[in-house]
Amino acid sequence: MNPTELVGLLPMQPAAVYTRDRCVTGIHGLDEILRGGIPYGSTVLAAGTCGSGKTTLGMEFLVRGALAGEACAHFTATEPSVKLLENIRQYAFFDMNMVDSGLINVFDMDVLYSWLGLEKASFELDDVHALIKAIVDIVNTIGVTRLVIDSVTTLCYKIKSEQLIRDFLFTLGKKLATLGCTTILISEITSATENAHWSSFGVEEAIADGIIVMGDVERMGHLLRFLQVVKMRGTAHSRAKHAIELTPLGVMLTPMLKWGAQSDKTSRWGS
Amino acid sequence: MFELDQRIAEQLTEVALNSAVQVRCGNSNAFMVTASTIIPLMQMFEMGGVYISANRGAVEIIQAFESIGMDVSNIQFIDLVSSGILGGTDVPYSNIHFVDSPIMLESVLLRTLYILRTTTSVRNFVFLDSVNALAIYNEDRILAEYLHTFINTFRQREILSVVLNVPDQTPPLVLSNLDLYCTDLIDRGQVVIH
Repeated sequence: MNPTELVGLLPMQPAAVYTRDRCVTGIHGLDEILRGGIPYGSTVLAAGTCGSGKTTLGMEFLVRGALAGEACAHFTATEPSVKLLENIRQYAFFDMNMVDSGLINVFDMDVLYSWLGLEKASFELDDVHALIKAIVDIVNTIGVTRLVIDSVTTLCYKIKSEQLIRDFLFTLGKKLATLGCTTILISEITSATENAHWSSFGVEEAIADGIIVMGDVERMGHLLRFLQVVKMRGTAHSRAKHAIELTPLGVMLTPMLKWGAQSDKTSRWGS
Repeated sequence: MFELDQRIAEQLTEVALNSAVQVRCGNSNAFMVTASTIIPLMQMFEMGGVYISANRGAVEIIQAFESIGMDVSNIQFIDLVSSGILGGTDVPYSNIHFVDSPIMLESVLLRTLYILRTTTSVRNFVFLDSVNALAIYNEDRILAEYLHTFINTFRQREILSVVLNVPDQTPPLVLSNLDLYCTDLIDRGQVVIH
């Protein structure tokens, strides 16, 4: 058989590659890192140190969705909704009409706890199920396609057993995925270095479909914010550190310089 | 009477928007060379731009331009110097943005990109003043990497990048990399030791 005949027998086109539909975050640079966005229905852990931009990232994710006509919900456990909205108003991408028109729905977790009769120090199995049902009912009723829980750490502090935390996150993620809701769970961590856990309880990171780590690199006494996608099921993605800036137009990213991606050795962040 | 170097304007007529121009100057002619580059870009080519000042505070640069009758209100300044001086950021100009330190190189790039996203000018330049000033704070290898990223970022976006440089105050590694990355050279440097 000569080479010409061989070519005729071999498939000249690569086999079709299945790609999952994406939730385009609209965040400058992030969709590029994720090769198009977060796979629909994923539960993504956004784990970061204080001041690393987690809440802004979460809010921008919702606002970009609202701008595209999607119904979005934000459950806040770390600051009152009024304060959250006041802080977010400084960003040019945010418009209060999105809240007034019902595209962005902000819920105080304290109010939700009170409504469910869960004003207690710790949650048992029934309480966790009631909480999951309440969140899922809200998502289902409003038709929410983008959800942020800020923070899942604060919420999980009330759940005393690791097994129960695992069940809570797994069940919640599964139900939200069934509803086609892409979720960002914000997680507070104390260190974002390579030796750190990406969640407070150690179980969130195993259950989440994706992990976005946010933190600071200390360079000669200055803190540079960074973002790194550590894991994202269902898509290829960059795993490089990216420097971020919180601008009035929202989060902006650029790859971090390779020679400056590690914190100074003497710093408390990098040691 | 302040005299501009007209040959720089002539040379600039030959560069494309996606060019990266290395401008070499000496200590004594730095402002003349800067003005001879910026003024044609603004007046002849009607470009808007971003001026990154790592050498001196932006107020000082604006006032130097004003002293020769140049209105630079159409240029946005990113000042890497004044945040290091207590009270340095209290300035009477609205077209100055501050970055905490010249070591925050990624922040400078992101701030520049942010300004370029908000500008109404169709054609833009980015003027980096200067590589030798950045070299005071940054190691050779990170600075070389940064210039590589910086130049390619703007070339890709068809934004003219102009990089000012006093060669005898710039580390040899950085200088040789700059020669490699830049597409054009305007050489008004003085004695080069390296």
